[in-house]
Amino acid sequence: MLPTLQLGPLALNTPGLILIIGIWLGLSLAEKRSPARGVPSVQLYNMSALGMIAGILGARLAYVLAHWQAFQGSPLSILSLNPKLLDVWGGAALGAAAMLWYSQKVKQPLLRILDAYTPAAAVFMIAWHLSNLASGNAYGMPAALPWSIDLLGALRHPVQAYEALAALAILGLLLKLDARMKSSGNEGAFFLAFLALSAASRLIFEAFRAEGELLFGAVRSAQAGAWLLLALSLLLLKKRLKLSAEHALEDKNTHGNRF
Amino acid sequence: MDKITRHWTLLTILILALGAAWMWVTARYFTPQDARSVIQAHTGFTAPNFTLTTAAGDALSLADFSGKPVIINFWASWCLPCRAEMPALQQVFSEYADQQLVILAVNAAHQDTTEAALKLAEETAITFPILWDLDGSVNDAYQVNALPTTFFIGKDGVIQDVVIGGPISPALLRTRVEKLLNSN
Repeated sequence: MLPTLQLGPLALNTPGLILIIGIWLGLSLAEKRSPARGVPSVQLYNMSALGMIAGILGARLAYVLAHWQAFQGSPLSILSLNPKLLDVWGGAALGAAAMLWYSQKVKQPLLRILDAYTPAAAVFMIAWHLSNLASGNAYGMPAALPWSIDLLGALRHPVQAYEALAALAILGLLLKLDARMKSSGNEGAFFLAFLALSAASRLIFEAFRAEGELLFGAVRSAQAGAWLLLALSLLLLKKRLKLSAEHALEDKNTHGNRF
Repeated sequence: MDKITRHWTLLTILILALGAAWMWVTARYFTPQDARSVIQAHTGFTAPNFTLTTAAGDALSLADFSGKPVIINFWASWCLPCRAEMPALQQVFSEYADQQLVILAVNAAHQDTTEAALKLAEETAITFPILWDLDGSVNDAYQVNALPTTFFIGKDGVIQDVVIGGPISPALLRTRVEKLLNSN
């Protein structure tokens, strides 16, 4: 656990710093690989910048609207740099809306955009779990194992490290699959593969987290959510697979007729 | 093509069946834990108790304020964000005084001088208690690595939020206090 990093008189928020580095590395990787998917780097860059600006504005706006009474006596707090005054869902909604608008403007299909952002999302997941390790959040169950970490007064499963390693493996696998998943009719499959693998990872490692709620006293709610997401992404992947095979067959027939 | 989709369907069923079994088994053997029963300076856990001397010379314990929402602000007079957020803390303390809000300003006295701390308290007209952490033991127990650090503790003694760094704005303080007041 390393919530702050002391650099001389400066105390840096380590989890926040890890997330920023993760976003930067992820977007750099996505921009590098997006032209091969038919999305020029500059389009992805503009879309990311627009999404981030709209996301931050949306997050602050949603927070202010939800807690407007708290801002009445001190309207200057609206301009506070504190990230705790942000509403994640409001930011995600406005950021996604802005990115969707831009993708329509540059005539890029949504599934292609999702595929182009998949490497960024995969890198971000690694950063997310490492930031949890730094902050001590999403901590594991007590366990006396040779690799247990001393966290929050007990030896625990380093579940954040398990999930970070799984996210790293997912990124490696996706980069390997990348070339194979660019055939026509296959758009969206890359993103769905990321979703399925991430959901499977959550389903497995959630079991080692100390926090959680039981649904109907039978299963953990986060695991149930991950299981549903896994089922949905596998179902949609099947459709993409079928569509891709049909396209391949059509291509083969056309090719055969011509020669 | 049909063969591929048939294989995919079988694989999907197998993965989902294994996933469902894993969910069911692990929920029995790795039951989620209630962090509130553990004393730790972390969100979701019960706040560690301490006893310190106030600037007025009285001994105050966190346990004295059981059943009341408490804000613990770790600060030092040389820390600029700490100085900047003192008026906001005082403002919110005055606004919620009738709702039994408690603010404890724990001075990192092992890194500060009482004269400088009292001078700042006088300048900012603080009316909530200032506590001297002379040996830094409370800063250590709360794992304070940066100043200011502010803990928001519910009426049940459970830490609801931690804000590292500052200056904290009055709006953020109000939203967190409202949450503390609405908690059990």
